[in-house]
Amino acid sequence: MDLALQLLFTGIGIGAVYALVALGFVLIFRATNVVNFAQGEFSMVAAFLMVVFAVDLQWPYWLSFLLALAGMALLGAIFNLGVYYPLRHRTFLPVIIATIGASILLANSVLAIYGPQPQVLEGWFETPGIQLGPVYLDSQYLLIIAVTMILVVFNYWFFEHTMLGKKLQATSQDKEMASLLGISVSTMIMITFMYSAVLGGLAGILVAPILFVSIQMGSTIALKAFAATIIGGFGDVAGAIIGGLALGIIETFGAAYISVPYKDGFAFLVLVLFLVFRPQGIFGERVAEKA
Amino acid sequence: MPLLEINDLIVLYGEIEALRGVSISVDEGQVVTLLGANGAGKSTTLRAISGLAKPAAGEIVFDGKSIAGLGPEAIVRLGISHVPEGRRIFPGLSVKENIMLGASNRRVAKSELSREADAMFDLFPDIRSFSNALGWTLSGGQLQMVAVARGLMAKPRLLLLDEPSLGLAPVIVQAVFRIISEIRRNTTVLLVEQNARMGLSVADHGYVLETGRIVLGGKPDELWGNEAIRAAYLGGHAKVSA
Repeated sequence: MDLALQLLFTGIGIGAVYALVALGFVLIFRATNVVNFAQGEFSMVAAFLMVVFAVDLQWPYWLSFLLALAGMALLGAIFNLGVYYPLRHRTFLPVIIATIGASILLANSVLAIYGPQPQVLEGWFETPGIQLGPVYLDSQYLLIIAVTMILVVFNYWFFEHTMLGKKLQATSQDKEMASLLGISVSTMIMITFMYSAVLGGLAGILVAPILFVSIQMGSTIALKAFAATIIGGFGDVAGAIIGGLALGIIETFGAAYISVPYKDGFAFLVLVLFLVFRPQGIFGERVAEKA
Repeated sequence: MPLLEINDLIVLYGEIEALRGVSISVDEGQVVTLLGANGAGKSTTLRAISGLAKPAAGEIVFDGKSIAGLGPEAIVRLGISHVPEGRRIFPGLSVKENIMLGASNRRVAKSELSREADAMFDLFPDIRSFSNALGWTLSGGQLQMVAVARGLMAKPRLLLLDEPSLGLAPVIVQAVFRIISEIRRNTTVLLVEQNARMGLSVADHGYVLETGRIVLGGKPDELWGNEAIRAAYLGGHAKVSA
């Protein structure tokens, strides 16, 4: 029982990282109808930005954190202008291929600068963690969970209670109609890419002290996050978050009780089961997107 | 000077000439109706005015200013609001949110938007009780009411209405046209209709489009008086003789 509680805590922590990346996937998919295969590289680039600021330059952690996030917003904007915008009137296929190309470019640019050896990033807090009854709460996991909770609340407030959020939703549902109402569709998509890059970057920065900072970290996280969006119900915001958390918990329990080497396998086994028995996911859309 | 003047407008879809030199004019305060069969170019004319279709040639002058080639976001800011075919209500947003977004061409605080949307329900009492319902749950008539209400939130000087009666039960069609006759007190309307009888009943002026060209224009009475036009577009004889 004590072990189960401990695993639940760890699972939620790692699941929260998947949830953040999955949320980025979903928001871009809803706005552009395209899966951004470079979403994982956003996490990787942000982690390397942290290494540059906090480790190489020895700047304060909080400043490095803010600068890395600002850098991600900028990267999201550049990504939109360079990858999505020129192809926006084409079908989804050229855009998807362009995002794959961009992900290769990002990974190899970092490889060219830092080489293949993984970098180490310390956690935010000096204290490694606290013991709460039978459960040891690692400070980095606590931070991940707290930041994710704050973001989920912010995301809900932003999309449901601000006019900008409504305009973003309107744009994702019918771009032509949105433009007829005077909503600047290109601005809305720009905001979506910037926000999604920040979400992906946040996940990378938060998980970096737990993993190593390597050029492969992006693709691993992205695969899990992509599985999470399918489990949760593709295109659904709540689904991305629940799917991410569920996946984190499942793989943590699977690793502890069944087999550590097959840890990654459990996530994909669950994905396959969902694809076979409930392809629409937990929050699958029953309603046609266009009425 | 007319509020809207279109001269020799040509619009291409690929190689096909959807409009082959359309000229119409709409005076301030009028309701002008475009009639014509499916594919005659009625919707394309509206799409060219609102900026969704790019003219290949010709002039579109609104309030003395050329707007041909401007994007839809710029055109709606100038005061032309387009309620397109198929209503295009955002399915995942509520009725009130849909209506509030209609004012995206103006800078208004959210609280003021909410007040304006509530006031809009006075003109459309039938949808007031659906204020929080999501777009996809509505019936065709309700969708049309929301679409017109959303179009009016732009506070347009010219409202483009595309087939507001399409697919609606006769009693709902009458309700929609009652609203059009209310709207015309403050707003100029360019109306596209297949239902010629209803379309002309509210109009000051009408045009008949045929394969991308205006073949006739005049007062509703004159259009009614033209036997060939009656037969071809206005129903009545066509079915009997054919």
